[in-house]
Amino acid sequence: MSLIWKLLRQHISIPQFAGFFLANLVGMVIIMLGVQFYNDTQAIYNGEDTFMKADYLIVNKKIGAMTTITGKSNAFTAADIDDFKSQPFVERLGAFTPCAFDVRASFDIEGFANISTDMFFEAVPDAFVDVATGAWNYQEGDTDIPIILPKNYLDLYNFGYAQSRGMPKLSEGIIGAMKMKIRIDGNGKQQLYDGRIAGFSSRLNTILVPESFMRWANAEFAPNAKEEPTRLIMEVNNPTDDHIAAYLQQNNYETDQDKLDASKTTFMLRVIIAIVMTVGLIISILSFYILMLSVYLLVQKNSTKLENLLVIGYSPARVSLPYQLLTVGLNVVVLLMAVVILFVVRSKYLETFRNFFPDMQTPPFWPSLLVGVCLLVLVSILNVVAVKSKVMKIWNRKD
Amino acid sequence: MEKIQLLHTLPKVFESRNDVVSDIWNHDVAFEKNKIYLVEANSGTGKSSICSYIYGYRRDYLGDILFDGKNVRQLTIADWVEVRKQHIALLWQELRLFPELTAWENVQIKNKLTGYQKKKQIEEWFEMLGIADKQTALIGRMSFGQQQRVALIRTLCQPFDFVFVDEPISHLDDANSAIMGHILTTEAGKQGAGIITTSIGKHIDLQYDQIFKL
Repeated sequence: MSLIWKLLRQHISIPQFAGFFLANLVGMVIIMLGVQFYNDTQAIYNGEDTFMKADYLIVNKKIGAMTTITGKSNAFTAADIDDFKSQPFVERLGAFTPCAFDVRASFDIEGFANISTDMFFEAVPDAFVDVATGAWNYQEGDTDIPIILPKNYLDLYNFGYAQSRGMPKLSEGIIGAMKMKIRIDGNGKQQLYDGRIAGFSSRLNTILVPESFMRWANAEFAPNAKEEPTRLIMEVNNPTDDHIAAYLQQNNYETDQDKLDASKTTFMLRVIIAIVMTVGLIISILSFYILMLSVYLLVQKNSTKLENLLVIGYSPARVSLPYQLLTVGLNVVVLLMAVVILFVVRSKYLETFRNFFPDMQTPPFWPSLLVGVCLLVLVSILNVVAVKSKVMKIWNRKD
Repeated sequence: MEKIQLLHTLPKVFESRNDVVSDIWNHDVAFEKNKIYLVEANSGTGKSSICSYIYGYRRDYLGDILFDGKNVRQLTIADWVEVRKQHIALLWQELRLFPELTAWENVQIKNKLTGYQKKKQIEEWFEMLGIADKQTALIGRMSFGQQQRVALIRTLCQPFDFVFVDEPISHLDDANSAIMGHILTTEAGKQGAGIITTSIGKHIDLQYDQIFKL
């Protein structure tokens, strides 16, 4: 054992360091757990809707009896949209473009049925659709069109139609692999396409195609039709903002309330996790404070020894090293233990999550690890600098 | 390092006093290698202060101290560490040994840093100074006279151009003082180093080149 360590370990207080160790461990686990939990729950929300973020709201004008009778348009005018865009709670706003031509789609489930139906398409700006750009694109001349279907349609088929007719139930995967024939009529032209299902949405009650396709098809099959959006999609910065509800009310607009609620839930979850992480951070800061106090006390109690080492030719860096290694070592052990605890806790709650969301993919572990390592590095740098500055004070004989 | 100069050096606490009569304070003094100096003083005249100033331990003085013409106020921390490891050895009056370590460990903690003296040489010194049986004893349990001898051995565990010994024999008998003087001159002679000893009365019997009254 090094003679220096033999000297400098005198007066090390085990209870003080144990106190720091526990406090820091608790703080570290809370912070890392917060990060990881947030990340894991995000995966659930994203898993529900792989191409649409949670904070989008869809707004339309209310359809009352008068609208039907008078035939008054429920489309948004350019002025309506501009007014909406100027609201402070709106981050981004896009309009749904309806199709002005006829669409007929048919599914061929070999040996079982041939389902054929009239349909319609709508499109939103590509920025609101979170699908890889390559998969969500249409170029003139392509014979297949990417489509996003509402998840309700699948449920309707699986739990209604298929159940009553003894038909096979279909998963998202199988549907995605199936061919959907699409016939478009309009402007005296007719064209056949293959529909490729890019995903299912439980947030959007419409059949989405890429905006590029919609623009081209409207010009091709219905050149004289006026494109009037009847629905708007918007990203808000805070879904719990009261101004949103007030504004919608005032203009006689409506939005799917439970979507707003879902957004509120995620938002609240985020707030709660932020609070929990703040508590963790405070505990960590306090534990850091305990560590600094015990190191200062240790340096103070051993100041004669430290000074004597300095005056027999040891450099301040060499004299600081044992305490720096001690604190950094403690921090590393804390991080390792926090990772183990986090791993155990996480596997428990992931198990519960899986019961609710069997399709859920396991999100990566590295975000919390990254936060942990960053904290370790930050705290260690502070420790190292603090010890060195204490030793320098002894060198400079200032106390 | 060839030469240490004190140019009009004076402890700051003496600044307001105009009755300072000294061969060193407020004079220009030089210590050179290969020479032996004695600084004689009464208590409280700043004998240990000289050692502390030259060793870079204290800076509360007026005037200048030069190492080979370079003002020591310009030395960096790394420079001072180098000076203390390679150029100036100091036997502190208060010894500054570590009571928690044994005599042998106290010497080793310095020698491991410099790697200068062989184990055999250190053992020989313990033998010569009559404390060979105390090698494994804790410093805290040894008498001050014994501690002085351990501290001397530790002081010599480094290369040096100058060695300062601050009242090295205050608690030693004449026989041990003579042995200490012999070891000191032999080791300094090997390195061509200068020796500066201080005393408040009793001093090692050496061939002094110059004696200062502080």
